[in-house]
Amino acid sequence: MKSVGLEHYLIVCALLFCLGLLGVIIQRNLIVMYMGLELMLNAANLALVACSHFLNKLDGQILVFFVITVAAAEVAVGLALIVAICRRKQSTDVADLNSLKL
Amino acid sequence: MNLQLITLEVVVTLIGATILLGSLWLPADKRRHLPLVAAAALVVLLIAHCFAMGVDTTTTLHGFGGGIVQDGFAICLKRLFLASAAFVLAMSAPFVERLRAGPGEFCALILFALVGMLFAASANDFVMLFVSVELITVTFYVLTSFQRHETRSLEAGAKYLILGGVATGLMVFGISLIFAGSGTMSLREISKLDPLPNLMLFNAGLLLVVAGLGFKIAIVPFQLWAPDVYQGSPTPVTAFLAVGSKIAGFALLMRLLRHTSRPETGFLLDALAALAAFSMIYGSLCAIWQRQLKRLMAYIGISSAGYLLIGVIAMAKGFDGTKAILFYLAAYLFAAMATFTVIGLISKEGEDERSEILNGLHKRSPGLALTLTLSIVSLAGIPPLAGFFGKFLLLQLLLEMAVNNAAYYWLLGIALACIVASLAFFFGIIRAVYWPSDVALSRATAPAAPIPTSLPLKISLAICVTGIILLGLQPDVFLDLIQETVRAFRWQ
Amino acid sequence: MDGQLQQYLPVLILAVVAIAFAVGNLVASYLIGQWINRRRLKSIPAAKNIPYECGMLPIGAGNNRLSVKFYLVAMLFILFDIEVVFLYPWAVVYREMLAENAGLIFGSMFSFIAILFVGYIYAIKTQAFDWKV
Repeated sequence: MKSVGLEHYLIVCALLFCLGLLGVIIQRNLIVMYMGLELMLNAANLALVACSHFLNKLDGQILVFFVITVAAAEVAVGLALIVAICRRKQSTDVADLNSLKL
Repeated sequence: MNLQLITLEVVVTLIGATILLGSLWLPADKRRHLPLVAAAALVVLLIAHCFAMGVDTTTTLHGFGGGIVQDGFAICLKRLFLASAAFVLAMSAPFVERLRAGPGEFCALILFALVGMLFAASANDFVMLFVSVELITVTFYVLTSFQRHETRSLEAGAKYLILGGVATGLMVFGISLIFAGSGTMSLREISKLDPLPNLMLFNAGLLLVVAGLGFKIAIVPFQLWAPDVYQGSPTPVTAFLAVGSKIAGFALLMRLLRHTSRPETGFLLDALAALAAFSMIYGSLCAIWQRQLKRLMAYIGISSAGYLLIGVIAMAKGFDGTKAILFYLAAYLFAAMATFTVIGLISKEGEDERSEILNGLHKRSPGLALTLTLSIVSLAGIPPLAGFFGKFLLLQLLLEMAVNNAAYYWLLGIALACIVASLAFFFGIIRAVYWPSDVALSRATAPAAPIPTSLPLKISLAICVTGIILLGLQPDVFLDLIQETVRAFRWQ
Repeated sequence: MDGQLQQYLPVLILAVVAIAFAVGNLVASYLIGQWINRRRLKSIPAAKNIPYECGMLPIGAGNNRLSVKFYLVAMLFILFDIEVVFLYPWAVVYREMLAENAGLIFGSMFSFIAILFVGYIYAIKTQAFDWKV
C-alpha cells in the first residue's frame, strides 16, 4: 500500500478550501456563505496540522489553536450580526442587502 | 520574556477593560464622557511614550520567541496608531450620544482594535501576524454594525464580515502553505533560509497572504468592500477603518515583503507594482464623480493605498523608503482625521453624507470650511501642504527605482496623471463649500445655523490643521524627527 | 488485503447490516402501508395519519421558534468553552516549567484568565445569563 504523504494532505486541503471559497461565491444566503468561510478556515487548519506532523515542528499546531479560537469569536460576532439582519429584513439573502448605493 | 516590548499593548488593554467594566457601574448620564476620558488617556500615553518611558529607538529588540520585534519603524507606527485612536475617540464623543448601545462598549472596542494595531506594528512571525489582523478585523465587525437600528450600518457590517472572512481564509491558508514550503513560522528565519525547501508552495502561500492583506489595505482588485462599508459604518469607525486598519495592513505587508523578498519572489513585486497603478487609476477616476462624502474618502483611500504600495515595493527592493512611507502616513492621518471629523459634525443622524450637506458651509462655519478645504487640498496632493510632500517623497523613490528598471517610468507617469485627476474631486468639494449654486442652495434642507463644535473637537481639528500645514511647509523638521527614530533601523 | 485494514472488516459488516436493516424497515413499512391502503381505502381512520398512531397526541407545531436567549447563552458557552483550548497545552508543560520559569508560566495564564474574567463580569452585569429579562 502506498503511504500517505504531505502532498496528499495538501491536495485534500486545497480541494476543501476551494469548495469553501466556491460556497461563499455561489451561495446567496448569508448563513450558508458563512459555512463556506468556516470550511476555508478548517481546510487551512488541516493543512497546518499535516505540515506540523510531516515537518516535525509544533509551530503549525500552535497556530491551529489560535485559528480555532479566532474562528469561534468570528462566528459569535458574525451570527449575532446575521440574526440582527434577519430580524430587521426578515431575510438572509444577500440580494436584499442593497441600501448602500450612490 | 521581555515585558518591556509590549508595555503599550498591556496599558491600552487595561484602559479598555477599565472603561468596559467602569461603564457598567457609571450612571447613564456620565457615560457620554467616556470617549473623552479614553482619548485623554491615549494622549497621555502617547506623550509618555515619546518623552518619558525611555524607549530606546536605536536598538532592535526581539522577544516572545521572535514573534515580537521593537525597532524604530515599529515605534513610529505605534505612535501613529495611538494618535489616530485618540482622534477617533475625540470624534466619537458627540457621536455616542446618538448610540442606543452603550458608549462604554464603543470605546472599549476601539481600544481593543488599537491593541491589535499596536501588535501589528511589531509582529514578526505568522502567528502574531494572524492574531493581530484578526483582533483588528473581529472588533471592526462589531464596530461597523454598531448602529443596530440603522439598516445601512447592518449592511456595512455584513459586507465587511463576509469579505473580511474571505480575506482571513486566504491568509490562513497562505500561512499554512508558507509553513509547508519553508518549515518555519518566523519571518526572520525565512529571510535566512537559502534555498527554500519548496519554492512553489512558498510562492503560492505568499500570494495568498498578500491577497489577504490586500483586502485590509483595499487595493485593486480587493477594494470592492471599501466604498459600501465606509458609507454604512458610523463616521468615527469609518475614520478608524480608513486610517488605523489601513496603516496596520501596510505595516504587516512591509515586514512580510521585506523578509520574503528574494530573486525567486520578484514576480510578486512586479504584480504589486501593477496593482499599485490600477489602485491609483481606479481610486482617482471613481473619486471624480463621487458625491457621497464617505464613499469619496474610500476612493481617496484606495488611491492612497496605490501610492503607498510604491513605497512598500521600494522597501522590499532594498531602497530606504522608511521616511517616505512614514511621512505619507502621517500626512494621510492628519488630513483624513480632519475630514472625517468635519463630516461627522455636519451630518445629522440617519442622514446620508452626500456632498449637498456641504453647501454653504462657508457661511455657516468658516472655521470648519477652512479645515475641510485644507485637508482636502492635502489629500489631493496640491502643493504646498503635507499630502503633496508625501507624494513627492514617494515619487522620488519611484525615480530611484526607475534607474534600474525602465518599466517604473510608466508607473511614474500614471501616478502623476492620477494626481492631476484628483484635482477634480477637490474642485467639486471646494465649490460646494464656498460657491454653492443657487439651485443647490434652494434645495438644501440644512438650516444655515452655525455648527456647534465642542472644545475637544476644536483642539483635535486644530492639531490636524497644524499638522497638515507644518508637514507641508516645514517637512525637514518632521523628516529629521523620523530620521532620529529610525536612524539605526535595520530590518531584522 | 493489508493487515491494518483487515481489522476494520467487522466494522464494515456492521455498517452494511445496519444500513440494510434501516432501509429494509422503511421499504417494508412503505409496501405494507400501500397494501393496506389499497384494501381499505374507504375507511382509513384519522389516527392513521398522525405521526404516532398509538402514542401521545403531538402538541403545537414542529418548528417552534426558540427564544433568542437560547442563542445568546449558547454563543457565550461556545466562546468560553473554546478559550479552554489554551489550557490544555499550558497544563501539559506546567509542571516542567514551574521549576525555572514560574513567573512566565503563572503570569501568562493568569493574565489570560483575567481577560476572560473581564468578559465574564461584563456578561453577568449586562444580564446576558438572566433568563427572566
